[in-house]
Amino acid sequence: MTISLVQCVLIGLWSGFCLAGMLLGIYTNRCLIMSAGVGLILGDLPTGLAMGAVGELAFMGFGVSQGGSVPPNPMGPGIVGTIIAITMKDAGIDVGSALALSFPFAVAFQFVITATYTFATTLTATAYKALDRKDFKTFRIAANATIWVFAAVGFLIGFGGAFSSDGLQKLISLIPGWLSTGLGVAGKMLPAIGFAMILNVMAKKELIPFVLLGYIAIAYLKLPVMGVAVLGTAAALMVFFHAGRGTGNSVEEVEVEFEDGI
Amino acid sequence: MASNRLEKRDYIRTSLRAYYLQNGFNYGNYQGLGYANMLFPALRKLYRDDDDRLQEALKENIEFFNTNLHFVPFITSLHLVMLENRTPAKEIRSIKMALMGPLAGIGDSLAQFCLAPLFATIGASLAQEGMILGPVLFFLAMNGILLAAKVLTGLWGYKLGTNIIASLSEKMEMISGIASMIGVTVISGLAVNFVKIATPVRYVASMPDNQQKVVAIQDMVDAIAPNLLPVLFTGLIFYLIKVKKWTTYRLVVLTIVLGIVLSVLHLIA
Repeated sequence: MTISLVQCVLIGLWSGFCLAGMLLGIYTNRCLIMSAGVGLILGDLPTGLAMGAVGELAFMGFGVSQGGSVPPNPMGPGIVGTIIAITMKDAGIDVGSALALSFPFAVAFQFVITATYTFATTLTATAYKALDRKDFKTFRIAANATIWVFAAVGFLIGFGGAFSSDGLQKLISLIPGWLSTGLGVAGKMLPAIGFAMILNVMAKKELIPFVLLGYIAIAYLKLPVMGVAVLGTAAALMVFFHAGRGTGNSVEEVEVEFEDGI
Repeated sequence: MASNRLEKRDYIRTSLRAYYLQNGFNYGNYQGLGYANMLFPALRKLYRDDDDRLQEALKENIEFFNTNLHFVPFITSLHLVMLENRTPAKEIRSIKMALMGPLAGIGDSLAQFCLAPLFATIGASLAQEGMILGPVLFFLAMNGILLAAKVLTGLWGYKLGTNIIASLSEKMEMISGIASMIGVTVISGLAVNFVKIATPVRYVASMPDNQQKVVAIQDMVDAIAPNLLPVLFTGLIFYLIKVKKWTTYRLVVLTIVLGIVLSVLHLIA
């Protein structure tokens, strides 16, 4: 399928909004959100949602990467991956293959963002200079400049990705069948990385019972996800009330400290 | 002079300006510009006719700052309370800098490591079933909770002063403890559901009565434990992260290579 110019612009605006949302802290720079939007714009919500689910889980762990390493950006699968998945659905590219194919884009986008942060360092000097001459207006412009650059970068990536989708399709159609099957298989394995990374951050030894509980609930009992959440809440509250004795005092202490404090 | 006092709504307004904290983010001073910008309207009101002091206050606050976006209102509220009480700038600065680290820790562990993975997993699982509710629920739940966090921490800072930080972090520890338990349950449950690995390998076995029977390896694996292959693979990745300290890039490359090679050999499908 081909993407109309209006759709290109809409995808650009959506990408710009989602990327800017990363700075606002409103959680729009997530595959789950971006893919659904692209799906709506291109008129194929089911594929958008499926791509969002797979991509979100594969990239979930990157939100928590520590130690200064630059994480790949979910715009890769969220925007470019979803465009690939939707436009090439009939050419045998499933969401798993699209996810694997979008990884290089995710890495490239992250470098663009690192470059933006580095470039934005000049804003500090601009702000100081503006304050020196009591130009508060320029100060406020400088203090809001990064987010506008982000919106512009997001627009260019979204628009560019959608606009060049024909070339992208031609390029991808050159991939031999065994390779795209393999990429599809790999794509379905990729969420393991997201899960393992998030568990690495969250799971302490005391939480092993909860890991097992989750496994039993899904693999054996086949509970729906909300059921698992309720089960987890029940178990968490049990642990909390069991270990939570004596916390009643702390509330009173707060009141006393308040009196001393101000 | 009295008209220059800040009211409760000024504190709430400043708290909501937490959304702008990263609007000027850069590698030079991180959220420094944003922090000064967050305080701007309140400072303007405090120093209504005094551009010199406004200039001075803004310059003081452009310096390096980095904390959690959703919990920063606690710091800005304290900051403004102290400014109104004419606390020396040096003291305000030391409190601001002292709170930056702990609040980043509390906020990140709650928002990024507990709430986001929990709702992302639930949302993804709903999206997998073709429900638009998945992304909508994720967005509303995250933003609802984090908006409440901004207003509440802002009001706490306003009402309670500096001594509250100890009990705040205690409460947060409790909340994030509970959220972790729920999160780990849901995430580890869905991990085995979303990671899809199955083997198409079959072999022909001769039965004692000379009849031949096709045995699928996958059935044998399922008999040992359901979703065993995904569990083992996720376990392997976990081991590589935790013990071998592999980077994400190596993990992605390993997974893609493994997927292609094993698929070409028809060992998994």
